[in-house]
Amino acid sequence: MALISLAFSLVIILPVLLFVYHQTDRLYEERIRDRVQDGERDMLFAYASGGLPALVDSIDDVIGTGAMRGGVVLVVDPNGHKIAGNLAGWPPILRTPTDWVELRLYREGQTGAELFAIRTVGLRNGERLLLGTAIEEREHMRAALLEALLAALLLAIPLGLVGGWIVLKVTERRARAIGNVAGRIAAGDFSHRLAAEKETDEFAILARAINAMLERIEELVEQLRLVTDSLAHDLRSPLTRISANLERAATTSADIQQQALEAVSLDVERMLRLISATLEISSTEAGTGRQHFEQFDLADLLRDICEIYTPVAEERGMAITLDEPEPVTYFGNRQSIGRAVANLVDNALKYGGGSISLGAADHGDRVELWVADRGAGIPSEQREHALVRYRRLEEARTTEGSGLGLALARAVARLHGGDIELLDNQPGLRAVMTLRRGPDNLSSL
Amino acid sequence: MGPVTKKILVVEDDSTTAEYVAKGLGQNGYVVDVAADGRDGLFHATDGNYAAIVLDRMLPGMDGLSVLSAIRAAGIETPVIVLSALGSTDERVKGLKSGSDDYLAKPFAFSELLARVEALQRRGALAAQPLATKLACADLTMDLLARRVERGGKRVDLQPREFRLLELLLRNKGQVVTRTMMLEEVWDYHFDPGTNVIDVHISRLRKKIDDGSGIPLLHTVRGAGYMLSDTA
Repeated sequence: MALISLAFSLVIILPVLLFVYHQTDRLYEERIRDRVQDGERDMLFAYASGGLPALVDSIDDVIGTGAMRGGVVLVVDPNGHKIAGNLAGWPPILRTPTDWVELRLYREGQTGAELFAIRTVGLRNGERLLLGTAIEEREHMRAALLEALLAALLLAIPLGLVGGWIVLKVTERRARAIGNVAGRIAAGDFSHRLAAEKETDEFAILARAINAMLERIEELVEQLRLVTDSLAHDLRSPLTRISANLERAATTSADIQQQALEAVSLDVERMLRLISATLEISSTEAGTGRQHFEQFDLADLLRDICEIYTPVAEERGMAITLDEPEPVTYFGNRQSIGRAVANLVDNALKYGGGSISLGAADHGDRVELWVADRGAGIPSEQREHALVRYRRLEEARTTEGSGLGLALARAVARLHGGDIELLDNQPGLRAVMTLRRGPDNLSSL
Repeated sequence: MGPVTKKILVVEDDSTTAEYVAKGLGQNGYVVDVAADGRDGLFHATDGNYAAIVLDRMLPGMDGLSVLSAIRAAGIETPVIVLSALGSTDERVKGLKSGSDDYLAKPFAFSELLARVEALQRRGALAAQPLATKLACADLTMDLLARRVERGGKRVDLQPREFRLLELLLRNKGQVVTRTMMLEEVWDYHFDPGTNVIDVHISRLRKKIDDGSGIPLLHTVRGAGYMLSDTA
């Protein structure tokens, strides 16, 4: 980790250093060339104003005063014979004019060859002028520069390592905090959460995302626990009764046997119903059923349900009225929606009271179906509970029923992109099922 | 059951379920062959002369619906009930589309399966006869064309759904019709209506046809459903 951070810092530092090196070098070169060009300009001016003698004077002057220290200068006649300067003769490979070449030359009075940057220029009467400056100095400077840069680099390595190590430690500490929470959760304690600072740094973002995920997991686990507990609870009473009835059947007269077996059969039927409903909710929640969407009239469906349940309502001294709706063409799973509405009506019959009214309204992109009663209703703080699978309200526990009706209805609504809302009917409960018209639905119209 | 022993083929890989179904059908007078996989099932189906086939949807070797397609492709018209653990009404549609005559989701009560097996044979027998326009049970008569029902010569007024409910019972005279079968046939919904919904409809129908007559015709079969019969 520290090595990675070091490599990373080197990747950044190296180009910077190379850039500094290159820029310094270029500036230096420019300065040298300026110097030569200044000299050249002076000499050309002398030549223009006073001819060759003036030029020779100027050259001698430059050499004599040492103003051309470290430089070369030479003027030759059209035949290549030296007129003035501090070089023995014109270098044979140099043409005229030449804009900047680098050559090793021997200056008069010097034993070794030196490296020069050279320009040549042709003069009016065929003479040729050569000017140059030693760039040996440049090589020294380059070496010095390289040395300085290398030193900087060497300094960067330990600094990078230390910096990397610090970053590593900080990261490690925060990663470990996440790891600890994950570990506790793996051990079964779902209540832990990461400290999600208000900051917006990466770790805070990560912590918030993880917390949201944990929230959802805890909810699912809680739901699962509830389902298992309730299923076990709801199966236990019929099983206990079955066991008692079987004992009765084993010991007594044919008449009592008959009764006991009928009771057993009733309980078994009840349990089968419970299990079927559970399976159906699961498969609906998993989204199976979309492939069986069809076009049908929701108003027809409401009329059917109304007709199916009217005798039951009348027997209980209640009534079902249908707010006679216009035809509402909808593309969905007719069986599931029928079942969902039936469950809502069934609930209204069991827990509601007075008159039950059914209706539908078409809002274009969505359709609303409602089942409203005039009973005691559900306190607002308990309404969300009522929609969760198995979370039957305590008062309702004593009533016959599996407590799955609303959960299944909600699963069906969600299969159609909608939901169920429980509202106050003042008095009573008004269950509103919203079904969306998605792109699927539009394309089929 | 009838004077001729009827044979039923049960294609089911789960031995417990197969045994349970075979035993139940046996007690009701059927001779049962059990096949444990799709291939064996297909072999039996094309070979034997069965009154009905009970076919599991998920089988090793060959999937239940493939077996069904193969049976139908071979021109065998034996009524088939598909059993499935997939437990949703949508599976039912798929099963019916691939040529089964009925469909039952696991878990199911044996009485439901028995009622459906018997209804299927009844249907097969009716299909073989010219279309009946009159149905009757003792002194209860139904004229399908005139949509008229009489009990002991006296007209009985029925709502359209009550009429269809009675028609269903008459067509399955002497046999059990379950509550879910009624919801399916009369209202075209395939769910379990839960509370005593069907019972209330039946009790209304019973009031109309049995009240004031000496012999009750509409009987409750405990734990199974209802039956229209002139013998108690």
